[in-house]
Amino acid sequence: MLIINKLCASVEDKPILNELSLEVNAGEVHAVMGPNGSGKSTLANVLAGRAQYEVTAGTVTFKGQDLLELDPEIRAREGLFLAFQYPVEIPGVSNVHMLKAALNAMRTHQGEKELDAVSFLKLIKEKARLVGMKQEFLYRAVNEGFSGGEKKRNEVLQMSLFEPMLSVLDETDSGLDIDALKIVAQGINRLRSPERAMLVVTHYQRLLGYIEPDFVHVLAHGKIIRSGGKELAVELEEHGYGWVEEHACTD
Amino acid sequence: MDGSKSMPAQIDMHHSPQVQSYLDLHSRIRGELPGRDIDWHSDWRRGCLQRFADQGFPTARDEDWRYTPLRPVLAKQFVPSQKPHVETRWTAEQIDGVDHSLIFVDGVFQGSAVATGAPPGIRIESISDLLGRDPDYLRPYLGKSSEDVAHAFSLINNALYSDGILIEIGSDVQSDVLLELFFVSKTDAALILPRIVVISRSGSSARIIERHVGQSGIHSLTSSVGEIYLEKGAYLNYHLIESAADTAYQVLGNWVYLHADSQLDFHTTTVGGALVRNDLVIDLREPGAECNLLGAYCLSGRQHVDNFTTVIHSAPHCNSNEHYKGVLDQRSRAVFHGRVRVAPDAQQSDARQASNTLLLSADAEIDAKPQLEIYADDVKCSHGATVGNLDEQAMFYMKARGIDGGTARSMLIRAFIDEILDAAEDDQVQQHVKTLVDGKMSGLQKSLKSGVQS
Repeated sequence: MLIINKLCASVEDKPILNELSLEVNAGEVHAVMGPNGSGKSTLANVLAGRAQYEVTAGTVTFKGQDLLELDPEIRAREGLFLAFQYPVEIPGVSNVHMLKAALNAMRTHQGEKELDAVSFLKLIKEKARLVGMKQEFLYRAVNEGFSGGEKKRNEVLQMSLFEPMLSVLDETDSGLDIDALKIVAQGINRLRSPERAMLVVTHYQRLLGYIEPDFVHVLAHGKIIRSGGKELAVELEEHGYGWVEEHACTD
Repeated sequence: MDGSKSMPAQIDMHHSPQVQSYLDLHSRIRGELPGRDIDWHSDWRRGCLQRFADQGFPTARDEDWRYTPLRPVLAKQFVPSQKPHVETRWTAEQIDGVDHSLIFVDGVFQGSAVATGAPPGIRIESISDLLGRDPDYLRPYLGKSSEDVAHAFSLINNALYSDGILIEIGSDVQSDVLLELFFVSKTDAALILPRIVVISRSGSSARIIERHVGQSGIHSLTSSVGEIYLEKGAYLNYHLIESAADTAYQVLGNWVYLHADSQLDFHTTTVGGALVRNDLVIDLREPGAECNLLGAYCLSGRQHVDNFTTVIHSAPHCNSNEHYKGVLDQRSRAVFHGRVRVAPDAQQSDARQASNTLLLSADAEIDAKPQLEIYADDVKCSHGATVGNLDEQAMFYMKARGIDGGTARSMLIRAFIDEILDAAEDDQVQQHVKTLVDGKMSGLQKSLKSGVQS
């Protein structure tokens, strides 16, 4: 589904990703872990198409297409979803208004009929219930005045609504208490299916106790230095990132 | 001059050709102007003409006109339209929910549309008819504005207006009629001089729309004077809607006098016009008066809009609240001037003012100028001006949800401007101004797509 080949990217002329390669197939959940500054968020943002991140070399193929050629909105409509590390507040635009515009843009792109207001409301209320979001949050301005946990819950709500082929979660677990973490994890687990894939970017092993990844990758200095199964996350938790980096160097 | 009835010869000195052309126009038509046989009225007209001749048109050296160059307006000769048009149908542009519409084509009153007969409790009468029938009735009202701010354009209206409308809402009349003054310009080079007097008698309540539209490509000049009086405890909701052609010049003045415990909600929505100057002068004359001035403008191309507001706290215990928001694209330019004057004995005044502008292009410009003149010591006054660009983070967030750039942009602009548009009291008026703003934005998007604007 996603093939990243020797991807190099920089932010404000500072190289961050350094020949990163990764392949994600349908049905798989990959966790990308690494210390601060290793390039985790850069990877997530490059995949979503944020303009400040400049791809300097390498290729990314998504469902057989050159992903880097596509505008961010087309990537989203093609089924790539980024759950933001810092969801943006948009004063004056209500959550339902934006979500309806978004879902219908995706449906139209995928050749489906737009949902009318009534069907949309029914659907979004159902999804909100699933992720434990109070209905009033649907009518408030997007993320405005939401707590950290509510913002992340709103990201998971969107993910449940769009049912993307590939979800990229950028440190969705950071800043969450244990209850919120469980709800986020449930949201992710509900979407797991043989057709879908997930790329879970995280700093801590904590979330991986609730979402069992098929693969764990350790990112350092802009490239993957070690890959393994879910047990790698446990090892990391015991020994820290320094240990992996040393280990990788002495290999 | 010492009260001597100065003859035209007196003002036949050396004037700029622009000024001279209006003096000549006066000489030609003064024999037909209403009120010429009424002493107070003709004295006042003469005084205004004299002032105009003396001071001429404002220049860039005039602080109140510094950011609004008049060159394009002065380069053209405008003449008043005399005859009523046969065609009075502008139904396609009607606002749903308007109960009574007074239609003016090129400034000439065409009669009422939508309903016949005046709404209950409201008197509507032609000013020239009224001057003929009851010469002194309007004396306390008509022309009061010239005692305050008067510039060339309002002086021209004073000296040359050929008719106008009185709207008088009777004491304690609670009118839910949506009354509209509808100005259509359709002749090139037309000089349009609307004259409005509104008297809200004590304890009354009413809603009025003043709307300007025009045929595209028409270079007309509208210079209006509205004089609005709110007696004790009166309420007036007034909405000025400017969707004139992008080639029209408009200098629209409204002077509002508020007496004890009266309240004015004044909305201004501007999307049309090449050069627009809105003079709004509010005099809070007696304790307990309150005004809320809400302005929204959405401009593109080379449009220029100058909202020049003056709020005078003449009496203690009055509130004024002013909020203008603008969206400027391409090479458009806006001026917000917020003058607040608190008189020495106007203690316990509460005056708030805010101007927020969204610049969509590097070539757009806003000059926001608060001007507080406070002569009392126990007052609350605040002002703030912000200028910003579209939030790029929000744009990316919406795109990452599959929403195209144009739609995301519209949603953000509407989110910004709706704070003002939502305050329009009547749902249908609100819908109308939102449609105007949407239409403006879809025009912007077309130019965006064709690559005119980055």
